[in-house]
Amino acid sequence: MNTRVALAIVAVLVLVVHGFVFYKQFFNNWEKHQTAYFEQARSLAKTDAERAALEGRKPRIEQIIVTQFGDSRVDRCLTCHMAADDPRFQSYGLPLKTHPYSAELGDFQKDGRWERRHKFSDFGCTVCHDGQGRGLESFYAHGEDTFWPDPMLGYVTQANWHAEFRPKLLGKEFMQSNCAQCHTEENFTGTPLVAGGRQLFFEKACYGCHRLEGLSAGTLGPDLSEAGKKYKINYLWEHTVNPRAFSAVSFMPKFDLTDDEIKALVVFLKSRRGLNFSETSIEQYRARLHETKAAPGASLPAAIPPASRGEQLIAQRSCTACHKLGDKDGHIAPDLSFEGLIRDDDWLLAHFKNPRSRVPDSIMPSFGFPETDFTALTSYLASRKTVPTFNNAEEIYKGICARCHGEKGDGNGITHIYLDPAPRDLTKVAFMNSKPLGRFLTALAHGVPGTSMPSLERVLTETQRHQVLDYVFVTFVKEPRKELKEHKLPDQNPIAMSQESADRGEKIFLERCTGCHGRKADGKGPNSLDISPRPRNLRNYAFVQNVHDRRLMDSILYGVQGTAMPSWIDYGLSQNDAGDLINFIRSLNRPSRSSAPADKTASLTHP
Amino acid sequence: MNNQTSVRPWTAFTELPGNVWRSIFRNPIPHSDLGRSATSFTNFFLHVQPVKVHRHSLRLTYTWGLGLISLFLFLILAVTGVLLMFYYVPSTTQAYDRMLDLRGTVAFGIFLRNMHRWSAHAMVAVVFLHMCRVFFTGAYKKPREFNWIIGVGLFLLTMFFSFTGYLLPWDQLAFWAITVGTSIASYAPIVGKDMKFILLGDSSVGQEALLRFYVLHVAVLPILVSLLIAVHFWRVRKDGGISRPPEEDEVFPAANTEPLALAAAASAVAQPVAPKLALKASLEKKLYGIQGIVRGPFTKIGNVPDRSVFSWPNLVLVELLVFLVTVAGVLIVSLYFNAPLEEPVNIMHPPNPAKAPWYFLGLQEMVSYSAFWGGIGIPTLEVIILLLAPYLDRKPGGVGTWFSRERLLANSLFMTFVVVNIILMIIGTFFRGPNWEFVSPW
Amino acid sequence: MANQPTTPNTEESGEAITRRKLLSWLTGMGVFGSVLVSAFSNFIFIKPRATYGQPNRFSVGKPDEYPAGSRMTLDARRICIVRDGDRMEAISTTCTHLGCIVATSETGFACPCHGSHYDQDGNVTGGPAPKRLPWFQVRLAPNGELEVDKDVEIEPGTYFNV
Repeated sequence: MNTRVALAIVAVLVLVVHGFVFYKQFFNNWEKHQTAYFEQARSLAKTDAERAALEGRKPRIEQIIVTQFGDSRVDRCLTCHMAADDPRFQSYGLPLKTHPYSAELGDFQKDGRWERRHKFSDFGCTVCHDGQGRGLESFYAHGEDTFWPDPMLGYVTQANWHAEFRPKLLGKEFMQSNCAQCHTEENFTGTPLVAGGRQLFFEKACYGCHRLEGLSAGTLGPDLSEAGKKYKINYLWEHTVNPRAFSAVSFMPKFDLTDDEIKALVVFLKSRRGLNFSETSIEQYRARLHETKAAPGASLPAAIPPASRGEQLIAQRSCTACHKLGDKDGHIAPDLSFEGLIRDDDWLLAHFKNPRSRVPDSIMPSFGFPETDFTALTSYLASRKTVPTFNNAEEIYKGICARCHGEKGDGNGITHIYLDPAPRDLTKVAFMNSKPLGRFLTALAHGVPGTSMPSLERVLTETQRHQVLDYVFVTFVKEPRKELKEHKLPDQNPIAMSQESADRGEKIFLERCTGCHGRKADGKGPNSLDISPRPRNLRNYAFVQNVHDRRLMDSILYGVQGTAMPSWIDYGLSQNDAGDLINFIRSLNRPSRSSAPADKTASLTHP
Repeated sequence: MNNQTSVRPWTAFTELPGNVWRSIFRNPIPHSDLGRSATSFTNFFLHVQPVKVHRHSLRLTYTWGLGLISLFLFLILAVTGVLLMFYYVPSTTQAYDRMLDLRGTVAFGIFLRNMHRWSAHAMVAVVFLHMCRVFFTGAYKKPREFNWIIGVGLFLLTMFFSFTGYLLPWDQLAFWAITVGTSIASYAPIVGKDMKFILLGDSSVGQEALLRFYVLHVAVLPILVSLLIAVHFWRVRKDGGISRPPEEDEVFPAANTEPLALAAAASAVAQPVAPKLALKASLEKKLYGIQGIVRGPFTKIGNVPDRSVFSWPNLVLVELLVFLVTVAGVLIVSLYFNAPLEEPVNIMHPPNPAKAPWYFLGLQEMVSYSAFWGGIGIPTLEVIILLLAPYLDRKPGGVGTWFSRERLLANSLFMTFVVVNIILMIIGTFFRGPNWEFVSPW
Repeated sequence: MANQPTTPNTEESGEAITRRKLLSWLTGMGVFGSVLVSAFSNFIFIKPRATYGQPNRFSVGKPDEYPAGSRMTLDARRICIVRDGDRMEAISTTCTHLGCIVATSETGFACPCHGSHYDQDGNVTGGPAPKRLPWFQVRLAPNGELEVDKDVEIEPGTYFNV
């Protein structure tokens, strides 16, 4: 009997659930909207023809199938927005509202009636608005579903977007990026934000790192030719505001941009969707052929002297989007104001052609400018030789050092995250007080090769260099220096350079050093992320070639105080081992390699 | 009724409903034992069952109805699957749009998709639980060894079934789950690379793979699984019904009895001309049931209390109940939980983490340590051990009771297997975040 | 569950029988009702609510685009828009015989497949066609465009007056 009771209960339950499922199916929102529309339209109907047109209309799914823009689009938006093309509903609320007529969109009046330039039956809705044309519930149709890649531009923000930016991503001006799918003319009046964004793309030197089909050829950053297809506007916005928001390892600089500028950039990038509707493949191919010429300002008269031509180029090519030059400052890259005192012509030219030939971990892109441009830029920078005047050591520090080493001397200057190796933290007492003063003075006078530390010999007098060092010790180090204990070390590497010695060194290196310095000795070992300052990149040939054997041996055997480098003599390494290591490190940075920095993966694969 | 008297022409019409009914259902609703047995073996759908079943087999706490639930889920899947096929197109450009249409415009579309998705998940789980039930009650022992093997085969096919269905929506989840899954297959020795290539029909997941998985999902696997289910059921009856503990008064056929010998014996009885004498000796030691020749224990008729009951209505009602409960469960879950549909496929950008369906997450977790051992080595070993279990564990005792003391070792080993797999699945599901790094779910 | 009596029902009390009957009736109703509801649901499911071809109700432009006396065939839509003074009509151009597209001829319409002939109003004048060409409803949409609804056949001779 129990079975029968249970059976009866479950059977009735199944029937009830079936009934509920069935019932739920018949009260869709779109049917309500359509019924409301018919009622309203009937009461608005003035002529018999209008009344006749409404006769017998029942709710049903309205759709526009657009086949002229790439894949066929199915837009069912009119199912709810029944009145979109009915001029009588202009004063009604959504969803039963007439789509506004606007002269800006090309709508015009004829015989007292508005005519649309972009007819819904030809264009559909999602071509301009985005959103999910197939959806019939506003949550899906408008693209509020976080899985939908194209939410309605400027109308809808998705739930997982950063709350701080959500209000900024609203506004119909975002739709200009869709206008630009057909209206590709550079200065189309309907798309001021696209034009503005394009201008900013060059003004802020984005073109240096990013490739845009037909516009720029940068290779350091991701290709943005299809950015509009790949990314939603929240990503584009947030990534521009804070490049590390989505990718912790991004080295894209944080540019000084106002909200309006960011909006223009976002709209411009959103308009980059690969093949535009109005473009043919042939046109794209032509654009690709012209790509390299597309750098702005390429057509300057060559007759003017190179230095003034260089000055013009600097303005046009937006160098100050990153660098400081006079009163313009991009807050990202080093100060070029007295570059002529710091670097010579050869260095500058080589650095222009390939920044990583002089500073191996530089993030400066290799701009594909013509050779003449480089020489012009070089001669202009080399001509900047005005020695700045300073009244005291504090002024020197603030004027020259603080940009990288920070106001507080902690190595956190405005440019620090873009510099590799990072600026030295001058407040680390253990480090500062364990190195001889001579080393600091040499760094001040001659710079540190392979890094952004410049040679200040011609900028500061010897007295000024002493003053600023004193200032650093008094202000940041604070603790008094003790007498340094000289380690008993040979001046020269006791082991002669040989293949056997380098092989022995490699063996030791793979056993002991790879955790921090990495298997490639590039300072990117698995532990390197947790270490501050980061482990030295031992493939920085400019640095390694100029560092003395004695300093290397000292660092290996007795460690570097204030950093994670331990004193390896405590772990059983002898002077001979250190010598082998030094030979190994030097073998990685043979002069022949310096011209071919791409050859990084050689030799250190497996013992 | 009055068929003896003159047949008036219009009675053909007045009796029409009743005659049609009787021609379909040969028996009226039975009120006697004879009628009950007749109901069972005159009805196509009921004759699969024996006329009488042992009371033990009807005990819910013994089987938990898991095998039946698996069957019913399969039926629900078949029905909803066929319906969904009306709107589905196995094309990379259209499949996702069709999913959107099922959610948007098609009446009951999202509901049927939910039913299909959740039944598929449930079926994997229930089939696995059914396997556990069979193991923990020792039901795979002689004479049911081969049915266990069919069962393991059905379990693997169910997983593969579910796996092939996973690709069809062509969303990110589907695409990357299949990419991961087929890459695991490619680690199989010797045939691995070919297997992946044949499965995908291309070097990467694309239109060919979608078409192949579709054909497997809607044609090949349903036929295979139906066939195996039929054999599985047939074996359940022929192996003596659902396993149960032996009873003292039961007589087992002699250990060396072959079914053929019994058949010969039976025919010998039917045909007195046959050499009776030669068989007489063996006949005296043997018993055979009226249903035919079965291997299970026989109950002596008349001498002992009859512990079996008629299938109609006892078994039929229980089956109907299980069916209705299954349907109700699937319906209610489908009403409140929508089947996931992620972004359209983006072949450049896997979601992070790219996770397989939950029942493969144990595998994925193992794969994250070693692709070969986690994806091929250990699973193959597990399957081989499962297949060999009835041939290795040959002690007859402990059949028919849960967690019998006699089977402590076997049950502990199997329990370990189950628990380890479930833990791996839980880790894979809840404790793995971006880049497959260990995260805390709360 | 398995402990219910299997002996003949005569031993049971009448009350038990009535209760059992009620339960059976409930179960039957539940199962049968569910089957009916789901069968009906499936019918609704299978009948498409939105098709993938061009919609059956579509705009054909403004009345001004059709000068008086014009006969304009829209082959993609399979209709012919006829304007006669201020009267307009939309005639199907799908042959009622076997579905070919009829072409306009001097006397009306002619089918290239099996030689059916129709007059200017779509009446059969020769060939195997069993029926006349249907007329579809023409209405003026709120945006001032003509809208043809191929789902609604109207009585031939019912014109739309511009």
